[in-house]
Amino acid sequence: MIALYLPGRSILHRAPAGVKLLALLALALLISLWPHTGVTIALAGLVVVALYAFALLPPVVLLRQLWLAKWIVVLMVVTQLVFLTPWDALVNTVRVVSIVLLAALLTLTTRSEELLAALETGMRPLARLGADPRRIGLTLSLAISMLPVVAGIAERVRDAQRARGVRLGFRIVVPVLVLALRHADDVADALSARGAD
Amino acid sequence: MTDAPRRFDTRDIARIAVFAAIIAALGLIGPIPVGPVPITAQTLGVILAGMVLGAWRGAAAVAVFLALVAVGLPLLSGGHGGAGVFVGVTAGYLFGWIPGAFVTGLIAHSGRGRLSWWRVALGGVVGGILVVYALGIPVASLVAKLPLDAVMIGNLAFIPGDLAKIAIATALTMTLWKAYPPVFGARRERALAARTAPAAADATDASAR
Amino acid sequence: MSTAEERAAPGSNEIALDGVAVELDGRRILEDVTVRLAQHRIAVIGANGSGKSTFARVLDGLVRPTRGTVRVHGLDVARELSRVRAEVGFVFTNPDAQILMPTVAEDVRLSLRGSGLARAEVDARVDAVLRQHGLGDHADAPAYSLSGGQKQLLALASVLVREPRLVIADEPTTLLDLGNARRIGRMLIDDLDAQLVLLTHDLELAERCDVALRFHEGRLVEVGQPADVVRAYRREYA
Ligand SMILES: Nc1ncnc2c1ncn2[C@@H]1O[C@H](COP(=O)(O)OP(=O)(O)OP(=O)(O)O)[C@@H](O)[C@H]1O
Ligand SMILES: [Mg+2]
Repeated sequence: MIALYLPGRSILHRAPAGVKLLALLALALLISLWPHTGVTIALAGLVVVALYAFALLPPVVLLRQLWLAKWIVVLMVVTQLVFLTPWDALVNTVRVVSIVLLAALLTLTTRSEELLAALETGMRPLARLGADPRRIGLTLSLAISMLPVVAGIAERVRDAQRARGVRLGFRIVVPVLVLALRHADDVADALSARGAD
Repeated sequence: MTDAPRRFDTRDIARIAVFAAIIAALGLIGPIPVGPVPITAQTLGVILAGMVLGAWRGAAAVAVFLALVAVGLPLLSGGHGGAGVFVGVTAGYLFGWIPGAFVTGLIAHSGRGRLSWWRVALGGVVGGILVVYALGIPVASLVAKLPLDAVMIGNLAFIPGDLAKIAIATALTMTLWKAYPPVFGARRERALAARTAPAAADATDASAR
Repeated sequence: MSTAEERAAPGSNEIALDGVAVELDGRRILEDVTVRLAQHRIAVIGANGSGKSTFARVLDGLVRPTRGTVRVHGLDVARELSRVRAEVGFVFTNPDAQILMPTVAEDVRLSLRGSGLARAEVDARVDAVLRQHGLGDHADAPAYSLSGGQKQLLALASVLVREPRLVIADEPTTLLDLGNARRIGRMLIDDLDAQLVLLTHDLELAERCDVALRFHEGRLVEVGQPADVVRAYRREYA
């Protein structure tokens, strides 16, 4: 599975995932709760741009993230102009987009595995509530390895239907579900046989 | 009644993981036009998770899917993903999928005997629309600093598509009940137990395959 | 009913089934199987649907018998399941269904979770078993990028890293090409120290075992010298 991570050697890339996660949380809260003036909102935008530069990511990456956020911008600007002043619409849009860009930066500079591990660590206190962080971690990794398998099943079903010249529309989901869930039962046996109970 | 919040066994874990992958695979299919409304298959997957796996396992499958999105896999419809989607305007809807699938499963699997289509559909409406919107709308209004009723009115545009999705998910679930009953797990076993002698119910329990 | 004296002691090599029957959805899938096996390599043959896989799954507690008792190496499968699972390794037909982790090394590592081994020891074992199976260069590769043959080698590696004393293999070569089928067949029949229960439609492979079982419509109809059992099976379809 191709992740959204972009390899690099910047300090941001090398910082521990948990630290980055907490920093993101703090910054996001600050930006969203601060009673913004023109200066502070411009500052928020600048901080985001500076952080992207700090991560040594090429400017095109930031532009691509902005492009991905285009629907948020359109949605925000259009709806806000109906109810609020143009100035408020601008401030609110910049605020939301900067937080989205910050979160994207975490994703761009951190491997999925590291975030998974940080997640597992973060869930440790849940053990007292009866959850089992290791089983949750196992389920997450298992789901990742099932992604290409299920995608492959879907592809095979589609090809088989094309070969027979039928178009099922949404009903194609049924054979995919049956095959995938039968596969799940085989996987369960393999888990049991390997002592994962 | 639903499957109790007991410890998940390997069969549950495998089904949860595979269903998370199914929700991801449904995101690969672009929006499918049903009449005039384009329908994203991914939310269909979320509703199906509740309808098929029931409350606990269904909600777990959705949570696993969202966790994979959060750690940076581009699994949301259109190749989106990463932490960004959980702080945007639509974050509330995404988080709402988890209780949404739970309530869908709770209602769909309530009652005894065979799965009934109207419970399944009702579960879809309450879990898939009401619960998801109950989280999505306030969060959207909070993030965008828009009045609540404005967001609510904007949401009305999606209701026809959502209803079509629930109709489709209900039909798929009823077909799956016939095509691959074991996946309904405890639900299916109770239906069999109600129908056959206790000895036969024992045998199904032993296999559960 | 077996008495305490007759029972194999833990640490023995005996697989013992007493009056084992399996019914699923009211259908009889396995009927009254009683057998004692202590040979090193045990072949299981029979037509599609004759009950081979069900027999194998009963041995590892993946299917609970409706009646009868199963003891593996002195362990009661119904009562001592976790010890049985530690004793027994299971290789399935479809490699996709038994590769459970995203990367090659992680998949092998999963087998050693909860083994209580130190981290360095785990790393060393994973490394060694991957090299033994020709996967040393693929440790960090995504598992789905492997070929079918490599996937089955990985599945085997993940089973053998636990050092099971009994390996059950359910048609492990069916989905492989000739070269890979030979390689896996050789590894199981010739190189394995553990006891082997091999389910297969490859009668030449079956003939190289020490004893063969033949199932027919849910019944164990023959136990004996592989050459004889295979000949009788061939004659039936001649
Ligand atoms: N979970 C189940 N529920 C109902 N019937 C089952 C189940 N599992 C197996 N069967 C049936 O039991 C019979 C024996 O199955 P089994 O898989 O043991 O055969 P097999 O000898 O391994 O066949 P093959 O060579 O095709 O693998 C088959 O008729 C099969 O349809
Ligand atoms: Mg079989």
